[in-house]
Amino acid sequence: MQVARLTLRFFRRELRNRFAGSFTGGLWALLQPLVQLAVYAFVFVQVFKSRVPGVDAPGYVPFLVTALWPWTAFSEAIVRSTTAVQDNAALIGKVALPREVLVVAVAASSFAVHLAGFVAILIVLAVAGDGVHIAGLAPALLLYIPLFALALGIALICAAVQVFVRDLVQALGQIMMLLMFAAPIFYDSAQVPESMRGWLAFNPFTYYADAFRAVLLHHGEVGLGRTAIALATAAIVLLAGHALFRRLDPHFEDFL
Amino acid sequence: MNAPLIEVRGLGKAYPKVHRNADRLRSLMRLMFNMRDRDRIDVLRNIDLDVLRGESLGLIGENGAGKSTLLKLITGVLTPTSGTVQVHGTIGALLELGAGFHPEYSGRDNIAMAAALYGLDGARLRERIPEIIAFADIGDYIDEPVKHYSSGMVVRLGFAVVASLKPDILITDEVLAVGDESFQKKCVRWIEDYLAGGGTLMLVSHSMYHVQKLCRHACWLRGGEIAMVGDVFDVTQAYLAYHERKSAAVPERAEIARAGLEFNVVGVELNGVDSEQPLMLESGANLRIATRVRSRDGRVPCLAIGIVRADGTAVYGVSSEMDAVAPERSGPDEYHGEIEFAELTLLPGSYAVRVHAMDSEGVRLFDTVERGIVVRGASREFGLVRLAHRWIGVRDAKPAARAADGADA
Repeated sequence: MQVARLTLRFFRRELRNRFAGSFTGGLWALLQPLVQLAVYAFVFVQVFKSRVPGVDAPGYVPFLVTALWPWTAFSEAIVRSTTAVQDNAALIGKVALPREVLVVAVAASSFAVHLAGFVAILIVLAVAGDGVHIAGLAPALLLYIPLFALALGIALICAAVQVFVRDLVQALGQIMMLLMFAAPIFYDSAQVPESMRGWLAFNPFTYYADAFRAVLLHHGEVGLGRTAIALATAAIVLLAGHALFRRLDPHFEDFL
Repeated sequence: MNAPLIEVRGLGKAYPKVHRNADRLRSLMRLMFNMRDRDRIDVLRNIDLDVLRGESLGLIGENGAGKSTLLKLITGVLTPTSGTVQVHGTIGALLELGAGFHPEYSGRDNIAMAAALYGLDGARLRERIPEIIAFADIGDYIDEPVKHYSSGMVVRLGFAVVASLKPDILITDEVLAVGDESFQKKCVRWIEDYLAGGGTLMLVSHSMYHVQKLCRHACWLRGGEIAMVGDVFDVTQAYLAYHERKSAAVPERAEIARAGLEFNVVGVELNGVDSEQPLMLESGANLRIATRVRSRDGRVPCLAIGIVRADGTAVYGVSSEMDAVAPERSGPDEYHGEIEFAELTLLPGSYAVRVHAMDSEGVRLFDTVERGIVVRGASREFGLVRLAHRWIGVRDAKPAARAADGADA
């Protein structure tokens, strides 16, 4: 109970932090993705003339949005919460508190902000009649649960290791970039040469990119088997992350 | 009669040595694969300590003795390397400055966060905020970011938060020193009320005045181990005496072939005891110093007796020649003399008695023997000796705050 209250307070502080000093405050959270959407629409559709292959394929903008926004939430949550423990060294050195709370609050704030943007964009696209099935919003929101668990598990590992090895956060930026292009976000799995397609499955985000498109655009499908594997992966990573964090937690103060 | 609120058993803390970045990676690997790190620095070793409900314990010791580390282990900020800490009750801790305040947020936000960290829910927090702000008494600064605060204001706010929580155990680390005079008084008064109401206190301070005023027991840490624990006056006196000895830094006198001297001191007895160990005396007791001096040529020596504080500051000195007396012959070439100081007015603390053998004229000094004495007693008077005094035009004003001090034995 107390942990929940504490998490909520850190979460609110984190959100306020992001929008501190801006006039529009929370509105910016909705405005920013729309501006970003306009930029992508111009660059990919007008300049690159990108299209999704297939007969009744969705437009490129909804195709990109349905995978890119969850990815942004996922990668930002991991990168930002990696330094969550390190950034709160002063607090950790003076007050006894469950340190997981710091990681959870940062990861949750990233998800909250980008989830709000995601919903806003989907509504705009649905109203514009761009092939988004708004009924798919409910299962899409459910998909965020294992995605968050996966992100949190990785974030707990990174945040704990970062305390000891400070280079991690630099390397992480590069790794995330690599993972982004190694997942079917800007392209469709079907566009990848047959010989290399198998490797995509090793990217934990591949399932989510495909699944979001399946429920929101009715583009492709993911089957029960892949869903079960993805859920199990998320659960295992979260448990492993928590275990590792707990193991290293007593020694944070010595290295901060 | 009551169970300890804090039980510390065999507690030890060692920090890993991290000089190079590679050490950090190595430490991480060791921790993950459950290996002991050999390269460690011990900051605390084998600490056993009980703090009972209603007790007030002062932690004293030099810088780096491990005082803050011990407090951090008790509050749970640090994890012990060995041993255990058990705490039965809520802790309100003010460790160093800031108490974990975030510099970018206003005082008001930080109060809310601090209260949440101590487990206060929203409703109870709203009730107490006016009280906290009133106690901190920092005016409009309460809505400014904490980074604009002076260090005194930060402490005021931190203390106000902890005070409002009314914890079972209050732990403060050298925070009183930062506030100004009026705030210090306010804190001291608050702590006295808190103790009178059955609160438990652990205080780290370099101000023996504060320790003696607020604590009934003290624990002296030296080099990561408990050097002494017990009544606050005994421990602080021993600690101060240790410092006096340290700063006196007597240059090592080359050991002279004493037997060849014209006069040398062969025996000193304090109250009939001949021992290298310091003599324990109650304040106001009698001190009798018996001296035997060997005279090579059989001439009558002059005895000089002095009392100095442990750091070498002279308190009093007198010689047989000054008082126009001479020691009695007690052997073929030995002389004997005794001096008595009745109802010694030395204040509690450590002192040394110096016995000098001088030539018959009391001009040349030949030999010196020093014996330690410790005057025990509970007194907050300052200085070396109690001077006879009386107050005029005053009335009786016994403080009530320490009346509840009899809570435990």
